[in-house]
Amino acid sequence: MNPPIIEQIFFIYFFISLSFLSLSVIISKNIMHSTFFLLIFLLHVAALFLFLNAEFLMVIQIIVYVGGVLALFVFAIMVMNIKEEFRHKKFVKFAGAGLITGFLFFIGIYLFIKGAKTPQETLPPVDVNLIGRLLYSYYLLPFEILSLVLLVALVGGIIIAKKLPREER
Amino acid sequence: MIPLNWYLILSSTLFTIGLVGFIVRKDLIVMLMCLEIMFNAVNISFASFSYYNASLTGQIFVLFSIAVAACETAIGLAIVLALVRNMRINHSDEITNLRG
Repeated sequence: MNPPIIEQIFFIYFFISLSFLSLSVIISKNIMHSTFFLLIFLLHVAALFLFLNAEFLMVIQIIVYVGGVLALFVFAIMVMNIKEEFRHKKFVKFAGAGLITGFLFFIGIYLFIKGAKTPQETLPPVDVNLIGRLLYSYYLLPFEILSLVLLVALVGGIIIAKKLPREER
Repeated sequence: MIPLNWYLILSSTLFTIGLVGFIVRKDLIVMLMCLEIMFNAVNISFASFSYYNASLTGQIFVLFSIAVAACETAIGLAIVLALVRNMRINHSDEITNLRG
Protein backbone atom coordinates (compact mmCIF):
# COMPACT_ATOMS: atom_id res chain seq x y z
CA MET A 1 0.00 0.00 0.00
CA ASN A 2 1.62 3.24 -1.06
CA PRO A 3 1.51 6.39 1.08
CA PRO A 4 -1.15 8.33 -0.89
CA ILE A 5 -3.73 5.64 -0.19
CA ILE A 6 -3.00 5.85 3.53
CA GLU A 7 -3.29 9.62 3.36
CA GLN A 8 -6.69 9.33 1.71
CA ILE A 9 -7.90 6.81 4.26
CA PHE A 10 -6.93 9.18 7.05
CA PHE A 11 -8.61 12.06 5.29
CA ILE A 12 -11.84 10.10 4.94
CA TYR A 13 -11.69 9.22 8.63
CA PHE A 14 -11.30 12.90 9.50
CA PHE A 15 -14.15 13.84 7.17
CA ILE A 16 -16.56 11.39 8.76
CA SER A 17 -15.57 12.09 12.34
CA LEU A 18 -15.63 15.89 11.89
CA SER A 19 -19.12 15.72 10.39
CA PHE A 20 -20.43 13.48 13.15
CA LEU A 21 -18.81 15.53 15.90
CA SER A 22 -20.23 18.79 14.62
CA LEU A 23 -23.65 17.18 14.23
CA SER A 24 -23.53 15.86 17.76
CA VAL A 25 -22.60 19.32 19.06
CA ILE A 26 -25.95 20.46 17.70
CA ILE A 27 -28.04 17.43 18.56
CA SER A 28 -26.88 16.49 22.06
CA LYS A 29 -29.24 17.36 24.91
CA ASN A 30 -26.81 18.19 27.65
CA ILE A 31 -24.85 21.38 27.07
CA MET A 32 -21.77 19.93 28.76
CA HIS A 33 -21.80 17.07 26.26
CA SER A 34 -21.82 19.54 23.38
CA THR A 35 -18.81 21.26 24.91
CA PHE A 36 -17.03 17.94 25.08
CA PHE A 37 -17.87 17.16 21.45
CA LEU A 38 -16.61 20.61 20.49
CA LEU A 39 -13.33 19.81 22.25
CA ILE A 40 -12.82 16.66 20.18
CA PHE A 41 -13.89 18.57 17.06
CA LEU A 42 -11.24 21.24 17.63
CA LEU A 43 -8.55 18.62 18.22
CA HIS A 44 -9.50 16.94 14.95
CA VAL A 45 -9.25 20.23 13.10
CA ALA A 46 -5.82 20.73 14.66
CA ALA A 47 -4.80 17.32 13.35
CA LEU A 48 -6.13 18.22 9.93
CA PHE A 49 -3.78 21.21 9.84
CA LEU A 50 -0.89 18.75 9.97
CA PHE A 51 -1.93 17.41 6.58
CA LEU A 52 -1.48 20.89 5.18
CA ASN A 53 2.08 21.44 6.46
CA ALA A 54 0.84 24.00 8.97
CA GLU A 55 2.42 22.88 12.23
CA PHE A 56 2.36 26.39 13.66
CA LEU A 57 -1.37 26.60 13.09
CA MET A 58 -1.86 23.28 14.85
CA VAL A 59 -0.09 24.59 17.93
CA ILE A 60 -2.01 27.86 17.82
CA GLN A 61 -5.29 26.01 17.38
CA ILE A 62 -4.66 23.86 20.43
CA ILE A 63 -3.44 26.75 22.59
CA VAL A 64 -6.07 29.32 21.67
CA TYR A 65 -9.15 27.20 21.05
CA VAL A 66 -8.73 24.28 23.41
CA GLY A 67 -6.89 26.21 26.08
CA GLY A 68 -8.70 29.54 25.82
CA VAL A 69 -12.06 29.46 24.11
CA LEU A 70 -13.19 26.10 25.43
CA ALA A 71 -12.14 26.98 28.98
CA LEU A 72 -14.19 30.16 28.56
CA PHE A 73 -17.21 28.11 27.51
CA VAL A 74 -16.83 25.78 30.48
CA PHE A 75 -16.52 28.70 32.88
CA ALA A 76 -19.56 30.42 31.40
CA ILE A 77 -21.62 27.24 31.73
CA MET A 78 -20.39 26.84 35.27
CA VAL A 79 -21.32 30.39 36.25
CA MET A 80 -24.80 30.16 34.73
CA ASN A 81 -27.61 28.13 36.13
CA ILE A 82 -28.46 25.49 33.54
CA LYS A 83 -31.10 23.64 35.51
CA GLU A 84 -33.91 25.37 33.69
CA GLU A 85 -32.53 23.94 30.48
CA PHE A 86 -34.82 20.96 30.39
CA ARG A 87 -38.10 22.82 30.50
CA HIS A 88 -37.43 24.49 27.18
CA LYS A 89 -37.60 23.01 23.75
CA LYS A 90 -34.25 22.63 22.07
CA PHE A 91 -35.15 23.65 18.54
CA VAL A 92 -37.01 26.61 17.15
CA LYS A 93 -40.39 26.26 15.52
CA PHE A 94 -39.16 26.82 11.97
CA ALA A 95 -36.41 24.21 12.15
CA GLY A 96 -37.42 22.75 8.78
CA ALA A 97 -36.86 26.13 7.14
CA GLY A 98 -33.36 26.17 8.63
CA LEU A 99 -32.66 22.73 7.19
CA ILE A 100 -33.87 23.81 3.75
CA THR A 101 -31.73 26.94 3.93
CA GLY A 102 -28.66 24.89 4.81
CA PHE A 103 -29.35 22.42 2.02
CA LEU A 104 -29.70 25.18 -0.59
CA PHE A 105 -26.54 26.84 0.73
CA PHE A 106 -24.60 23.60 0.43
CA ILE A 107 -25.86 23.02 -3.12
CA GLY A 108 -24.78 26.54 -4.09
CA ILE A 109 -21.30 26.18 -2.60
CA TYR A 110 -20.90 22.75 -4.15
CA LEU A 111 -21.73 24.09 -7.60
CA PHE A 112 -19.18 26.84 -7.00
CA ILE A 113 -16.28 24.64 -5.90
CA LYS A 114 -17.00 21.71 -8.22
CA GLY A 115 -14.48 22.70 -10.86
CA ALA A 116 -11.57 23.47 -8.53
CA LYS A 117 -8.33 22.26 -10.03
CA THR A 118 -5.52 20.83 -7.95
CA PRO A 119 -2.18 22.46 -8.76
CA GLN A 120 0.93 20.34 -9.06
CA GLU A 121 3.24 22.27 -6.79
CA THR A 122 2.32 22.40 -3.13
CA LEU A 123 3.73 24.07 -0.06
CA PRO A 124 7.01 22.47 1.00
CA PRO A 125 7.59 21.83 4.71
CA VAL A 126 8.35 25.31 6.02
CA ASP A 127 9.92 26.70 9.13
CA VAL A 128 7.99 28.79 11.60
CA ASN A 129 10.75 31.31 11.04
CA LEU A 130 9.28 32.20 7.64
CA ILE A 131 5.81 32.82 9.06
CA GLY A 132 7.31 35.10 11.70
CA ARG A 133 9.26 37.06 9.10
CA LEU A 134 6.18 37.51 6.94
CA LEU A 135 4.06 38.46 9.93
CA TYR A 136 6.47 41.11 11.17
CA SER A 137 7.34 42.65 7.80
CA TYR A 138 4.48 42.64 5.34
CA TYR A 139 1.59 42.06 7.75
CA LEU A 140 2.88 44.30 10.52
CA LEU A 141 0.02 46.81 10.46
CA PRO A 142 -2.77 44.19 10.61
CA PHE A 143 -0.88 42.51 13.43
CA GLU A 144 -0.77 45.70 15.46
CA ILE A 145 -4.43 46.41 14.76
CA LEU A 146 -5.17 42.88 15.94
CA SER A 147 -3.47 43.56 19.26
CA LEU A 148 -5.67 46.64 19.66
CA VAL A 149 -8.76 44.56 18.85
CA LEU A 150 -7.79 42.04 21.52
CA LEU A 151 -7.36 44.82 24.08
CA VAL A 152 -10.76 46.31 23.23
CA ALA A 153 -12.39 42.88 23.44
CA LEU A 154 -10.82 42.29 26.85
CA VAL A 155 -12.03 45.60 28.28
CA GLY A 156 -15.44 45.31 26.62
CA GLY A 157 -15.99 41.80 27.88
CA ILE A 158 -15.31 42.86 31.44
CA ILE A 159 -17.58 45.91 31.15
CA ILE A 160 -20.46 43.99 29.58
CA ALA A 161 -20.37 41.04 31.95
CA LYS A 162 -20.31 43.24 35.02
CA LYS A 163 -23.31 42.92 37.29
CA LEU A 164 -25.64 45.88 36.98
CA PRO A 165 -26.75 47.72 40.10
CA ARG A 166 -30.31 46.98 41.05
CA GLU A 167 -31.95 50.24 39.96
CA GLU A 168 -30.66 49.97 36.40
CA ARG A 169 -32.22 46.60 35.65
CA MET B 1 -2.09 13.30 -2.84
CA ILE B 2 -5.44 14.54 -1.68
CA PRO B 3 -7.19 16.75 -4.24
CA LEU B 4 -8.10 20.31 -3.33
CA ASN B 5 -11.76 19.48 -3.91
CA TRP B 6 -11.94 17.20 -0.91
CA TYR B 7 -10.81 19.89 1.47
CA LEU B 8 -13.28 22.35 -0.01
CA ILE B 9 -16.13 19.87 0.28
CA LEU B 10 -15.16 19.14 3.89
CA SER B 11 -15.05 22.85 4.64
CA SER B 12 -18.42 23.55 3.04
CA THR B 13 -20.01 20.59 4.82
CA LEU B 14 -18.83 21.81 8.20
CA PHE B 15 -19.90 25.36 7.42
CA THR B 16 -23.36 24.17 6.44
CA ILE B 17 -23.71 22.11 9.62
CA GLY B 18 -22.68 25.13 11.69
CA LEU B 19 -25.10 27.39 9.84
CA VAL B 20 -28.02 25.02 10.27
CA GLY B 21 -27.18 24.62 13.95
CA PHE B 22 -27.04 28.37 14.40
CA ILE B 23 -30.47 28.75 12.85
CA VAL B 24 -32.08 25.75 14.50
CA ARG B 25 -30.93 25.80 18.11
CA LYS B 26 -32.45 28.03 20.77
CA ASP B 27 -29.75 27.85 23.37
CA LEU B 28 -27.43 30.86 23.22
CA ILE B 29 -24.25 29.01 24.21
CA VAL B 30 -24.81 26.28 21.64
CA MET B 31 -25.34 29.02 19.05
CA LEU B 32 -21.90 30.39 19.94
CA MET B 33 -20.47 26.89 19.58
CA CYS B 34 -21.95 26.70 16.09
CA LEU B 35 -20.16 29.96 15.32
CA GLU B 36 -16.92 28.26 16.36
CA ILE B 37 -17.68 25.38 13.99
CA MET B 38 -18.18 27.83 11.13
CA PHE B 39 -14.90 29.63 11.96
CA ASN B 40 -13.06 26.32 11.90
CA ALA B 41 -14.55 25.36 8.55
CA VAL B 42 -13.32 28.61 7.02
CA ASN B 43 -9.91 28.10 8.62
CA ILE B 44 -9.61 24.68 7.00
CA SER B 45 -10.32 26.15 3.59
CA PHE B 46 -7.81 28.99 4.17
CA ALA B 47 -5.10 26.51 5.14
CA SER B 48 -5.82 24.25 2.19
CA PHE B 49 -5.62 27.18 -0.23
CA SER B 50 -2.33 28.14 1.38
CA TYR B 51 -1.03 24.60 0.88
CA TYR B 52 -2.09 24.24 -2.73
CA ASN B 53 -0.94 27.72 -3.75
CA ALA B 54 2.49 27.23 -2.13
CA SER B 55 2.10 30.53 -0.28
CA LEU B 56 2.17 31.35 3.41
CA THR B 57 -0.41 34.14 3.30
CA GLY B 58 -3.28 31.76 3.98
CA GLN B 59 -1.72 30.59 7.20
CA ILE B 60 -1.29 34.16 8.41
CA PHE B 61 -4.93 34.83 7.65
CA VAL B 62 -5.85 31.78 9.71
CA LEU B 63 -3.84 33.29 12.55
CA PHE B 64 -5.80 36.55 12.31
CA SER B 65 -9.06 34.67 12.04
CA ILE B 66 -8.32 32.64 15.17
CA ALA B 67 -7.57 35.81 17.12
CA VAL B 68 -10.78 37.47 15.93
CA ALA B 69 -12.72 34.30 16.81
CA ALA B 70 -11.32 34.41 20.33
CA CYS B 71 -12.40 38.05 20.70
CA GLU B 72 -15.84 37.27 19.33
CA THR B 73 -16.32 34.37 21.71
CA ALA B 74 -15.26 36.45 24.70
CA ILE B 75 -17.67 39.25 23.81
CA GLY B 76 -20.51 36.85 22.99
CA LEU B 77 -20.14 34.96 26.23
CA ALA B 78 -20.03 38.26 28.10
CA ILE B 79 -23.32 39.27 26.49
CA VAL B 80 -24.90 35.90 27.31
CA LEU B 81 -23.61 36.14 30.86
CA ALA B 82 -25.07 39.64 31.23
CA LEU B 83 -28.43 38.42 29.92
CA VAL B 84 -28.47 35.47 32.29
CA ARG B 85 -27.44 37.48 35.30
CA ASN B 86 -29.61 40.53 34.85
CA MET B 87 -32.73 39.17 33.19
CA ARG B 88 -32.63 35.40 33.67
CA ILE B 89 -32.69 34.84 29.92
CA ASN B 90 -30.94 31.86 28.39
CA HIS B 91 -32.68 31.31 25.07
CA SER B 92 -32.76 33.27 21.89
CA ASP B 93 -36.56 33.49 21.66
CA GLU B 94 -36.83 35.23 25.03
CA ILE B 95 -34.83 38.29 24.07
CA THR B 96 -37.75 40.59 23.44
CA ASN B 97 -36.85 43.61 25.49
CA LEU B 98 -34.92 46.08 23.37
CA ARG B 99 -34.84 48.97 25.80
CA GLY B 100 -32.99 47.08 28.49
